[in-house]
Amino acid sequence: MDLTLAIIVTVVGASTPILIAALGELVVERSGVLNLGVEGMMLIGAIAGFVVQFHTGNPYLALLCGAAAGMASSLIFGFLTLSLSANQTATGLALTIFGTGFSALAGSSYSARPVSLMEPLFPAELAAHPVWKVLFSYSFPVYFSFIMVVVIWYFLHKTRAGLILRAVGENDQSAHSIGYSVIGVRYMAVMFGGAMAGLAGACFPLLLTPQWAERMTAGRGWIAVALVVFASWKPFRLLAGAYLFGLVMTMELYAKAGGGVLSIIPSELWAALPYIATIVVLVLISLRRDASTNAPACLGKPFLPSN
Amino acid sequence: MQFRLEKRQEPSKFMAYATPVAAVALTMIIGAIIFSLIGYDGVGAVREIFLTPLTNSYKWQDLGVKAAPLIIIGVGLSIAYRANVWNIGAEGQYIVGGLCATGIALLTWGMTGWWILPLMMLAGMAGGMAYASIPALLRTKLKVNEILTSLMLTYASVQLIYFLIRGPWKDPMGIGFPQTRLFSEAARLPTIIPGTIVHLGVPIAVLVAIIAWFIMSKSVFGYRMRVVGAAPHAARYGGFSENKTIWLAMLVSGGLAGLAGMLEIAGPFQRMVPGFPTNYGFTAIIVAFLGRLNPLGVIVAGVVLAITFVGGEVAQTTIGLPNAATGIFQAMMLFFLLAGDILIKYRVRRVMPQTSTEVA
Amino acid sequence: MDASMPHRLELIGITKQFPGVLANDNISFSVRPGEIHALLGENGAGKSTLVKMIYGIMQPDAGEIRWNGERVTIANPKAARALGIGMVFQHFSLFEALTVLENIALGMDAKIPARELEGRIREVMTRYGLLLDPHRTVATLSVGERQRIEIVRALLLDPKLLIMDEPTSVLTPQEVEQLFDVLRKLAAQGCSILYISHKLHEIKALCDTATILRGGKLVDTCDPRQETSRSMAEKMIGGGLKDLVKARDRVFGEPRLHVNGLSMPAPDHFGTALKNVCFTVRAGEIFGIAGVAGNGQNELLLAMDGELPTDPSAIKLGDLPAGAMSPSARRRHGLSSVPEERNGHGAVGVFSLSDNSVLTARERPGMVNMGFINFGAAKTYTRKVIADFSVKALGAGSTAGSLSGGNLQKYIMGREILQRPSVLVVSQPTWGVDAGAAAAIHQAILDLAEAGSAIVVISQDLDELLSLSDTLAVINGGQLSPKMQVGDASIEEIGLLMGGVHGNTEAPDAIPA
Repeated sequence: MDLTLAIIVTVVGASTPILIAALGELVVERSGVLNLGVEGMMLIGAIAGFVVQFHTGNPYLALLCGAAAGMASSLIFGFLTLSLSANQTATGLALTIFGTGFSALAGSSYSARPVSLMEPLFPAELAAHPVWKVLFSYSFPVYFSFIMVVVIWYFLHKTRAGLILRAVGENDQSAHSIGYSVIGVRYMAVMFGGAMAGLAGACFPLLLTPQWAERMTAGRGWIAVALVVFASWKPFRLLAGAYLFGLVMTMELYAKAGGGVLSIIPSELWAALPYIATIVVLVLISLRRDASTNAPACLGKPFLPSN
Repeated sequence: MQFRLEKRQEPSKFMAYATPVAAVALTMIIGAIIFSLIGYDGVGAVREIFLTPLTNSYKWQDLGVKAAPLIIIGVGLSIAYRANVWNIGAEGQYIVGGLCATGIALLTWGMTGWWILPLMMLAGMAGGMAYASIPALLRTKLKVNEILTSLMLTYASVQLIYFLIRGPWKDPMGIGFPQTRLFSEAARLPTIIPGTIVHLGVPIAVLVAIIAWFIMSKSVFGYRMRVVGAAPHAARYGGFSENKTIWLAMLVSGGLAGLAGMLEIAGPFQRMVPGFPTNYGFTAIIVAFLGRLNPLGVIVAGVVLAITFVGGEVAQTTIGLPNAATGIFQAMMLFFLLAGDILIKYRVRRVMPQTSTEVA
Repeated sequence: MDASMPHRLELIGITKQFPGVLANDNISFSVRPGEIHALLGENGAGKSTLVKMIYGIMQPDAGEIRWNGERVTIANPKAARALGIGMVFQHFSLFEALTVLENIALGMDAKIPARELEGRIREVMTRYGLLLDPHRTVATLSVGERQRIEIVRALLLDPKLLIMDEPTSVLTPQEVEQLFDVLRKLAAQGCSILYISHKLHEIKALCDTATILRGGKLVDTCDPRQETSRSMAEKMIGGGLKDLVKARDRVFGEPRLHVNGLSMPAPDHFGTALKNVCFTVRAGEIFGIAGVAGNGQNELLLAMDGELPTDPSAIKLGDLPAGAMSPSARRRHGLSSVPEERNGHGAVGVFSLSDNSVLTARERPGMVNMGFINFGAAKTYTRKVIADFSVKALGAGSTAGSLSGGNLQKYIMGREILQRPSVLVVSQPTWGVDAGAAAAIHQAILDLAEAGSAIVVISQDLDELLSLSDTLAVINGGQLSPKMQVGDASIEEIGLLMGGVHGNTEAPDAIPA
């Protein structure tokens, strides 16, 4: 029972940053923009969150600053791809390279200096009983990620702003000719995606490993991008996908810790498993007949008004 | 007075060549300002990173050795990107190429013979191709995005190194270090200038780029890559199958990355170590773009990026700039280059408000 | 109509300059309440620019717009709609993945709750007989149905002026009649209509007044009922019309192209499946395929020129099974094609014309040696195409994207025809092309047939097919009607076939409501 509980808690922790980053990217892609810089924005968010936590010890401020830093870095991407209609794939890659370098530089004087992890949101008494523990033992970002799944679903399908965002992603020329600001909507989406990625990055030092390490997101940003494809651009499927990956990564942790049967397989294979699982998941989703029909029609294409 | 963008009738050739130069220049200027603002010696950083490697002739051999893999991988990527095939897993193909060459070197350990190096070369290219064929297969058969698959395979390949050098390939004399034994003489790349570290890989890189330039500009193969990238429907209409093109692009870029991996392992490294993944595969993405996806441009861009690598190391020792600064300069170059792309298709016009009744 | 009432819309001296082109030069005319006013002109005459200024998408450089007698500045489409100006575009601004209701909601400036909006939509639909299910996804609708969304969207705003931009180019003759009924009903209620077209018989049937534009200038404002089609056409084109030289009593030779039981699933989500398509085209014959856009024309062209492989025996060149051959192999055996989309399919916009010649002409005229391209040969060939087909281009080195639509089409036609194909398949040969270029293209097709090639012309323009082709069939929902002689076919019969009524062989399941 205790082990199961511990596993569940670990899975939730591992899944949360991926889910948050993927939710942001989902909104970005629904507006027709492919931002491959999630990994870079997460790293920038991670170092910003770490530095604030290190100096202030206020995890909420740290999360906020992580989100702000992620948003700021997304503006570089937005300016290049939206205002200057640069190639989105290349710009996203450049953002990841930049984020990797920037976070490494900013974090170079913080190596091996621990911070404290974020406290659970609810008082410990509430999480005393094992059953309640499953529900109440997490810190704020976990609950935030669940709420955001519902909020984003509601926004996309039940609000007029969400309808406009989807319309811009489906047919930018039509949206423009009706009178919507395609670039404006996309800037908003890109900034939201940046904030979510930054927040997700800040979760790494605040929730998982309480210190700064170069490239500490270890490709989770790319997995988030892959999950959006896996989820066919639908928020609730994203929830399922992120937890699947959380499970895989937790198995890796237990394997490394020498967890019984899991250790028969070499630890390097466990470490490679999330990446291999990503490929397998992409293959499986491509086998579905309606695989690509949900993709926003304008995804990744630069918008230039025709008149 | 305000500025407005106006579409050019024909894309500007001048801008296509001028913007990479401008991107490097802007990176130096803006980089100096930014680094000064965040408390470093900005001007010194730019001087050490961009100029010292050029003015100090002692560093030239480092430049050649660093530029060679960047050029070889960059040439392959420039061919793939022309065809809009986004292989960003060159780092993984480089690693697998290096591992395959290592395998041959270990199998032939203690042997002598001229055939060992060519065999390693073939193994390296075959390894890179094989690793690139996974995304190619998934893209052509199942339409799985090659960006994500090739990148995920890179992360996996790093674990493959760890597995091999901690386990089956571990140096029996290595007192616990996770690394293979040192290659024998016949599996090490000869230096071509005595007394330096300049190895055979350097002239090979230049040769690869020149051959690639010739093929890309003069052959039906090069035409195929260009037309598939520029207009996929027109390519199909012209009889160039998209799937075949994806395969060719992945195999060529993977094979060249594998070749670079072999040259690195047989040249500078001479044994497989955990530090073998040096990010050449990712930096080569910048090289390919900065070289305007033209193999001859890639030579110049490869040297520029090599300068920043060598210069970054210099700056680390002379002015204590963290090594990560190099990455920022490299990313800035790519940002400025991408920002400048718009000038190829558009021109900036000054608009006098009084002569225009345009309501923005 | 009361002459003392102010004009609903009045344009005075409207001028608009683009780099290198004077799109509108001092245009003045007016539209009364309840009037159906035609704006007539060729492609490039300046009609679209003019209405874009009325609808607020562009601003005039000079001149003024008066609305109900008062001078107005229409800053953007929203302002236009606020005045009571509605517009139905030629290219619909619709979102395929969204429902009819969502599409209409997006077009509304005011925020209306979904349920209330649906009620109002249903009311407008029943009043004008524009039937549609508001909850269907646009991707599943026919072109005619999609146009109904646009019209409903415009009518919901209760417009005082409705601009219709080339509305009938995608409709069957029967759908055109229904549309005219709606427009007449609207006009009777006092709504003015600005009807843009280059189809003269429609304007004679529908409009009260016609303003004719040519080369950005206003040529005439007249009563179309007092004019003949020919007199209006001459004003539109300027100078006398050149008749096509088409030999009488043509005799056809050997069958060159057999399409036999060609069936193919839809290539993608938005495509059309082909169902048992059969026809034969003989040497010297021009075979026309009519139909409303999106009924399998693209798929048929792709199957014929090899871009989509089919069953080997479904397509034969002479006796040779060609269904599984690649486009290059088919070209080697004499089959050339010209797709509908020029920039991006028939040619690469960013490539020079010379490089574009390598695209399809690299083998027959011999530009390739041992895998390497002889760019000199490509340039020579391109120069010949430019000269023989009077393509207006700076030279073989100018990019395809810098040419006008008509010139690019002449280049592509020339590139294929100079290879002396034994079979030529052409889709929409004169879509969006000015009259001079269209005449040249038609003549080139006739000359090639005269020289003994078998030709398939796919077109939405029924008039074009009736004047050009010898035999004709209609494609609908991926099925091809039996072949008929052009002289024997009635417009009504063709129209019914286009609407999906296959004589007595099919249940009339798809008659538009």
